[in-house]
Amino acid sequence: MLLHILNRSPASSRVPLDTLRAMGDNDWLLLIEDGVYGAVGPLADEFTSIQGRVFALKEDLVSRGLENRHDATIELVDMDGFVALTEQATQTVSWY
Amino acid sequence: MNYALLVQGAPYSQQAAHSALRFAHALIARGHTLGTIFFYHDGVYNASRLATPPQDEPHLVEAWRRLHEDHGTSLLVCIAAALRRGIIDEREARRHGKAGYAVESPFELTGLGQLLDVHSNHDRLVTFSP
Repeated sequence: MLLHILNRSPASSRVPLDTLRAMGDNDWLLLIEDGVYGAVGPLADEFTSIQGRVFALKEDLVSRGLENRHDATIELVDMDGFVALTEQATQTVSWY
Repeated sequence: MNYALLVQGAPYSQQAAHSALRFAHALIARGHTLGTIFFYHDGVYNASRLATPPQDEPHLVEAWRRLHEDHGTSLLVCIAAALRRGIIDEREARRHGKAGYAVESPFELTGLGQLLDVHSNHDRLVTFSP
């Protein structure tokens, strides 16, 4: 499993589309920095094809005033959880 | 596990360096080793000893240095990216006839080839880019 780390919002960039195209069937996606805007509906709809494999960094949601505004299908992790995801993944790929 | 971080964002410009620092502290708190941080592209500005942020703001250069002191983390700076941005050490300053210098130990100017070694010598390499 690869962990893809995305810091771009679907509202301002086409990088999320490239990320989705590159992701394998078992890969996971972590939204960080401005990427967390994609965790809030309706932008979260971009990621319905990989539902259940999408995470968002809680600190970055909170710092943008979006706490508790994220889509229910997206799981929140804190920095400790971010590290845990990189433990489980064989490699990470950063998209920016 | 032994981690390495690749930092490509300048401090105080984008979030990349701040994210990398928080990730660094989190992985150490989980019992991992942070073997190396490699600074590349605008990330080389993280190595400037002349950085003087306001006292009530995070001092990134100091924070990287503390990782080296407390945890033995190597702080590698791509020399090609650094020299063209004026991020030079004392030796390079002498060689190029410059009056001042911006890089000192524990930061080390090094070749990009080192990044390949870092990739193969560590269990995980995580990139933080603007």
